[in-house]
Amino acid sequence: MAKFEAGMENMVDMYIFETTSLLEQLDQILMKTENESSFGSEDINEIFRTMHTIKGSSSMMGLENMSHLAHAVEDMFFIIREDNPEITDKKTLFDLVFTASDLLKTEIELLQEDEYTPTDFSGHMSKIEAYAKALKDGEGAAPAAVQTKTASAEAAAPAGKTIKVISNSGDSMTTVKIYFEDDCKMENLRALLVVNNIKSECAALTYEPADIEDNPDSAKAIIDNGFVIHFRPAADATQDAVIDIIGNSLNVKSYEVTDAADSGTKEVPLASLSEAKVTFVEDCKMENLRALMVVNNIRESCELLAFSPEDIENDPATAQAIIDNGFTVYFKAAEDQAIVDMIKATPNVKDAVLVRKGGEAPVADKKAPEKAAEAAAPAPKAEEKPAAAKAAEPKDAKKAAPAVSGGAKQSLISVNLNKLDQLLDIVGEIVITEAMVTSSPDLKVKGLKLDNFQKAARQLRKLNSELQETVMSIRMVPLSGAFNKMTRIVRDMKVKLNKDVDLVFEGEETEVDKSIIDNLNDPLMHMVRNSMDHGIEDTSEERIAKGKPAKGKITLSAYNSSGEVIICVTDDGQGINPEKVLDKAEKNGMLTKPRSEYTDKEIFNMIMLPGFSTNEEVTEYSGRGVGMDVVKKNIEKTGGTVSVDSKWGEGTQFTIKIPLSLSIVDGMEISVGQSIFTIPIGVIKESFKIKPNQLLKDTNGSEMVMIRGECYPLIRLYDVFDLKPSSTDINDGIIILVEVESEGKSACLLADELIGEQQVVVKPFSPMLNNFNVKENGMAGCSILGDGSITIILDIGNIISDF
Amino acid sequence: MNEENVKDFSTEGGEALLFSIDDTVYGIEIKYINEIISIEDITVVPKVPDYIKGVINLRGKIVPIISVRRRFGKEEIPYDERTCIIVLEFDDGNFVGIIVDRVREVTIVKPEEICLPPDCKKVNANKYIKNIIESDGEIKQLLNCEKLISDI
Repeated sequence: MAKFEAGMENMVDMYIFETTSLLEQLDQILMKTENESSFGSEDINEIFRTMHTIKGSSSMMGLENMSHLAHAVEDMFFIIREDNPEITDKKTLFDLVFTASDLLKTEIELLQEDEYTPTDFSGHMSKIEAYAKALKDGEGAAPAAVQTKTASAEAAAPAGKTIKVISNSGDSMTTVKIYFEDDCKMENLRALLVVNNIKSECAALTYEPADIEDNPDSAKAIIDNGFVIHFRPAADATQDAVIDIIGNSLNVKSYEVTDAADSGTKEVPLASLSEAKVTFVEDCKMENLRALMVVNNIRESCELLAFSPEDIENDPATAQAIIDNGFTVYFKAAEDQAIVDMIKATPNVKDAVLVRKGGEAPVADKKAPEKAAEAAAPAPKAEEKPAAAKAAEPKDAKKAAPAVSGGAKQSLISVNLNKLDQLLDIVGEIVITEAMVTSSPDLKVKGLKLDNFQKAARQLRKLNSELQETVMSIRMVPLSGAFNKMTRIVRDMKVKLNKDVDLVFEGEETEVDKSIIDNLNDPLMHMVRNSMDHGIEDTSEERIAKGKPAKGKITLSAYNSSGEVIICVTDDGQGINPEKVLDKAEKNGMLTKPRSEYTDKEIFNMIMLPGFSTNEEVTEYSGRGVGMDVVKKNIEKTGGTVSVDSKWGEGTQFTIKIPLSLSIVDGMEISVGQSIFTIPIGVIKESFKIKPNQLLKDTNGSEMVMIRGECYPLIRLYDVFDLKPSSTDINDGIIILVEVESEGKSACLLADELIGEQQVVVKPFSPMLNNFNVKENGMAGCSILGDGSITIILDIGNIISDF
Repeated sequence: MNEENVKDFSTEGGEALLFSIDDTVYGIEIKYINEIISIEDITVVPKVPDYIKGVINLRGKIVPIISVRRRFGKEEIPYDERTCIIVLEFDDGNFVGIIVDRVREVTIVKPEEICLPPDCKKVNANKYIKNIIESDGEIKQLLNCEKLISDI
């Protein structure tokens, strides 16, 4: 992240995290609204808020391009929110927002790379702006508060911000005093940057100190006295737009508008304005934002409007000032009393008193409670407005929250995943060390009295397993996040491929380890794409002809089964044609035995071999022949397996099996020859010595074991692993009956000896060993035992499935 | 791997660890060397090629062990007190140990002592040799570590 200064990494992390989750939320809202094909006011506000936050934080990070793009979208939704225009072309609107969201997401990914150069979004921005303009024009007469942006006004700020004074006339210059962040260095150049930023928006512009460009000493003057800009906005820009640019400029700590035009003294003497004092309900909190609502309410009914304190929108501290001194509104309107009534109609306003009428001496103030009682009916115009103002409030409330409600309890924190990984590693070490202590050879001395030791050791063991469980549960995340991302992919592909498909979730609340989820996104995406692209029939006619519903269906389901999570991606499309797969495999020289000897399962799993793709054409979404083998690789990285099942004409099902947690399992240690293996306790049903009458052989010489009227295949582990057993006599060894629930298969394993039960920390095999398909050969990983030796953890499912 | 190590050994030279198998001297760039340990109990991993001897526990890390002799198609000889495991660390954070007959020394290789192996089909077919080094009147073969473990 070369773009950012040292020390900013934390902020960048935070920014990336926040923005990513915001964009995900945005996608969800968009999906929802697109399905309903109508915008609720809540949704609009939510989108508006999201974009506003992204805009703010992006510009704080100095990522102007992202900030501007978010801003363009925000503007568009501002128009939608305020003007409530008839949206005829919804599709374009959704596409615009989706694309914007995608662009932002890609940018965030780019941001995490070392070489980051900001992408230019102006192309998409002008599209959005054009659409926004069309929306607004369609609306006809628009309130003065909304300004349509032109593409040239890229950097413009939200027009919707409170207009502090609508008395901005003629030649008056606005004065803004800027303070830069402490220690930001080279204040004069920062100031120059600000000047350059706003230059295009201003018809006239002067500043002091004037010699910032050439005189480094001016930096000192700026630190001491602030940097003062006098400007008059250009015809196509508003004063607020300019002020906003200033506020959003890099390293600007604070700014104040000490504005000649603002107070109206030059053009409109203060005395000519009516003055109303507003008080709020006690303890209503965030008085500044309540005041902002008041201003929003009456803005359109006033010819001229000013208020004090001024900076209510951005400075939460003004809340206290309002509590202490009240909130004063200066305005000029046709009907003063109507305005006061409107103020009173605003939520949380306790009272509003007309202190003075424009051009008149002050009326008797603070003695007008009876007037308040008289003012029964709120002004007609005020009826709609509060809703919008109220909706706008949470956004601002969020901003102000840290300052205002600092005492509130937070029950959620976000933690760096690395720290959790560390914690898990330490817990793993503790588990190993515990085993080292309790199985220490020192304890084996004869005649030792260990009662107290054993007691303490038991307690330690109990606490350790609790610790372990807690750490695991911290890392568990529901799959819904990963599933929801698929909604978006399906949506896009639906449009592109012109297929009508429903995406259905089942069991999305199933939880898996966070590190697994991260490795699941890509495989899921590939599978869903595959189902969309190859699975679902091209046309609904084709589907109807086959007697299927016209609308395709892709199901994502998840459930727990004996320490594993099973995730299925099922479609009801055309399925996989085994003949086609075989043809292709033959062509690519991938067949290792005669065609007729391949089972369906083997054939389907071939599509996940590297360099295989049944689709002749390469499409944008799938068919490059890299997809499915990457899926397999990624899943195996998490210690899981993936299999395909399909019925030609009826559909395809991908099944992913992943361990619930990567790290710690209860295991039974067994010995086979010189080697020690660990079998996860979960799959073991029982272990026993065999009686001669229980063993039988089939015609091929394959062995079976009869137990209580059921017959199981016998698997000699030393055969499976090509090891030298201590004895091949079945009566010397021990039989372990295992059952793999998810596959519904059982078998008897022959081992030399049971050593004992132990918790082991699963360590994955080195990638080098994974090249040899150790997983398929029945080895899930390895683990370090208390004495430092290594045991190999068996993957019983894979051992059985080979039989 | 810090940046200084990124420079190309073939053109700029650098330090190399020398070890021998039979009478042949091989070299490995110093940036790969994590440590050298004496031979210890190796846990056999079934169903892998015979040049992979198994895995060891290196202070909590599971490190696979390759026998260079078997990798190069030579017969195993019994391990003695000079037999060593050189633990290599790769850029992606993976560790692999290689068993060698004896470790000789770390030497500084000057650029002028390095030449490339001939580029033809039969000689050095598997590309395990990255460079030939001639110094002190002796020929050494610099191994391509990535190839050694990945090209399987």
